Amino acid sequence: MQPLIDALIFIVDDDASVREALAWLLRSRRLVSEHFASAEAFEQRLAEEPLADQPHCLLLDVRMPGTSGLVLFDRLAERGLLDVMPVIFLTGHADVPTAVDAVKRGAFDFCEKPFSDNALVDRIEHALGASLRAIEAQRARRLLMHRVEELTEREREVMRRVVEGLPNKLIAEQLSISVRTVEVHRARVFEKMEVKSAVELANLLRGL
Amino acid sequence: MTAVSSTTLPATRSFRRTFARLRFLRSAWQRWFLWVLLAVLVLALLVTVVWLAGRHEVEQVQTALDRDTADAVSDLRSGLQRNAQSLRASQAAGLDREHWPLEAAALLREHREWLRIEWRDAALRPLGAVDTPYRRRVFDESSRSVDQSDVALACAAARKLGAPAYSPSHYVPFVPSGGLEVMELCLPVDGGGYLVATYSLRDTLIELVAPTLTRGQEVAFTEADGTRLVAVGAARRVGTRVFTSQQLIDLPGTTVMLRVDGWRGAPDLFPNLLTALVTAISIALVSVLVLLARDTRRRLRAERDLADALAFRKAMEDSVITGLRARDLQGRITYVNPAFCAMVGFSAEELLDHAGEAPYWPTELAHEYRRRQAARLAGGVPPREGYESVFMRKDGTRFPVLIFEAPLINAQRAQTGWMSASIDISEQRRIEELSRASQERLQASARLATVGEMASLLSHELTQPLAAIASYASGSLNLLQGAGQAQGSAAGEVAMAVRRIAEQADRAGQVIRSVHDFVRRRDRTREAVAPQALLDAVLPLVRLQARKLGVRIEVALEDHLPQALCDRTLVEQVLLNLARNGMQAMDLPDLNERVLRLRVARARAVGESNEAPDKADVRRWLEFSVADVGCGISEEVAARLFTPFFTTRPDGMGLGLSLCRTVVEQHGGALIFEPQRPRGTVFRFTLPAA
Repeated sequence: MQPLIDALIFIVDDDASVREALAWLLRSRRLVSEHFASAEAFEQRLAEEPLADQPHCLLLDVRMPGTSGLVLFDRLAERGLLDVMPVIFLTGHADVPTAVDAVKRGAFDFCEKPFSDNALVDRIEHALGASLRAIEAQRARRLLMHRVEELTEREREVMRRVVEGLPNKLIAEQLSISVRTVEVHRARVFEKMEVKSAVELANLLRGL
Repeated sequence: MTAVSSTTLPATRSFRRTFARLRFLRSAWQRWFLWVLLAVLVLALLVTVVWLAGRHEVEQVQTALDRDTADAVSDLRSGLQRNAQSLRASQAAGLDREHWPLEAAALLREHREWLRIEWRDAALRPLGAVDTPYRRRVFDESSRSVDQSDVALACAAARKLGAPAYSPSHYVPFVPSGGLEVMELCLPVDGGGYLVATYSLRDTLIELVAPTLTRGQEVAFTEADGTRLVAVGAARRVGTRVFTSQQLIDLPGTTVMLRVDGWRGAPDLFPNLLTALVTAISIALVSVLVLLARDTRRRLRAERDLADALAFRKAMEDSVITGLRARDLQGRITYVNPAFCAMVGFSAEELLDHAGEAPYWPTELAHEYRRRQAARLAGGVPPREGYESVFMRKDGTRFPVLIFEAPLINAQRAQTGWMSASIDISEQRRIEELSRASQERLQASARLATVGEMASLLSHELTQPLAAIASYASGSLNLLQGAGQAQGSAAGEVAMAVRRIAEQADRAGQVIRSVHDFVRRRDRTREAVAPQALLDAVLPLVRLQARKLGVRIEVALEDHLPQALCDRTLVEQVLLNLARNGMQAMDLPDLNERVLRLRVARARAVGESNEAPDKADVRRWLEFSVADVGCGISEEVAARLFTPFFTTRPDGMGLGLSLCRTVVEQHGGALIFEPQRPRGTVFRFTLPAA
């Protein structure tokens, strides 16, 4: 029973039987999970060990003694972790309005107990997909930033004007350099940013 | 206009004042004039009568005195005449030297007023003389010589008249001291001689005037000019009223006056029965007048007091809101006060003298009232604490009254009827009804909320194991599928059974959900309610308990609060629960200042920090807080405070706070509590504003 997907799922619920049952269910779908009895325990885990570079998902019970699920959710939102670690609320029937409200405020989804089939796991997989995408987007942005950082000062000035769509001649005038030099810089920018055209470059930088 | 009125007003006022004073004076004058007049007349009558009586008495005394005096004068005169005749008779047989002295001595013994009898010849030479035996010898012979002028005068007059004549009175001094006033009587005798008798004036008065006259009066001889010669009788005349009467006694040869002085003392004022009677009657009259005046004054005062008392009683009867009604022993209404008239809507004229059925008796209850009246007339005593009844207004509406009855006893201690006080208790009834209705409504909603909370708790507790069951079932199925169908039909059977388990778990979840839905159907009834209205709904019940526990309630609402979007009944329940908890927390024997503060204010959602407001939540919130100054909440209790079925009270179910939190969370709000400084606890919860 090997974990299929390289992902980590956190379960926070005060009821041990629910935690264990969920973990077992996830394992049956080859998913790795860690479970915590309270929000405080989970926050401690986060503090001790930062999130690895893999998809995450948090299954969070709304009603718990001590810090409630909603409060924990708000703190995670403050730290900007909702993208890489989507939150799925586990609710009792009574808490549905609360959960709906939470979804409006950025939770990935909620699931009403008792959950009978694999729908929950499907939702988790969706969430993991979202998490993966978020991680990849983060990674791409970091790469791009890295590339931009490798440009010289002059190359960056030229690139800015290229993206704005100015012709070489005008760029040369503005920077008081010859058109030939502009062309050299431009070629080097394209090379360093691994693009083939100005349009491609503009698209790439738009995400930044 | 104002100028005119301001100038005329004082004048009018002063005129009025003067007029009032005049009227007062006139009435006082009218009242006192008759009395003064009467008193003056009585006094005048009294004085007149007394004066007239006095004068009458004086006149009578004077008249009697005059009469006495006249009698005395005539007595004197006749006495003197008789004496003269006696003297003449002594010489009738002729005078001779031998017999005359004997005869003269006999005469002198007979007439004590005479001092001496002399026999003189025509030339007035004494021939013989005899002195009275009753006195020491007054005269010596030498002083009685021829030229004795008084004797000469008398004898001259006697000779001229040929009848006895008298000399004027003259004084005969005694040798050592004193003297006598004497008068000579000269009687010419046949043969040219004279008999001279010397009268002592004093003895004359004593002998010849009736002794009754000299008793209590003074009788005196005076000269014509008033010079007193001799006097006899009582001389006590100091401080007494003197009556004087004098009369001339004309004697041949001389004239003397007889003067009688009588006097009367103190008894003069009531000299007779008439005066006494009149005086007594007058005194009685005055006394009666005084008594009458006093009686009138007392009567006036009593009248005024009575009028005051009547006015006071009338004002009292008119001012009470209790309806008063008096009935005689026949059941007729003899008196009603304005409050009673206002209560039943009938005028006093319509109510008075109604025998039998009173107009305010509801027709359907009249027979019962008649029975009650009959029992009362038969002597039944109404209950002291009063009884409830129903009256009918003029417009036909019925209203409940509380009636107190008491027997009406007159001054002779006889019962003349019944006095009853009626109080309209319809308003009281309405309030009781209202309070009961609101209490019932809250109790019903409390029951419903409790059931809901139970269901909610059950569902929560059951969903956890059900979720576990479902998870295990799904996981098992996953594993069975992963292992493939190699094992054949046995695995298929197991897979089917596990699927059934999952289905049954799902069904159980559905059942719970449907029960939950049924109980929580009203969850969706959200309405906009003013915070004030929420508080107003629970405050009567809260105050009821507050009064029992001696707690003061303070309510503070921020101005211009928005309405809260909530299920009114449930939120009222939450407020009531929190308020009751707070008051019970303050039920400590040594706590004097018991205050429960209810506050409503605008707020962020509870639990949000101000530094990092959640932009996603743009709703506005209302924060309700219930703060007590009670015993506070210990740490261990705080940890389990919202746990269902946890309670610190022996009779508590342990659902109150749990329910409160559920309700608040259903509204999207939160319920928290924190200790209050210096003591006590404050519970806050939020509700979304409309």
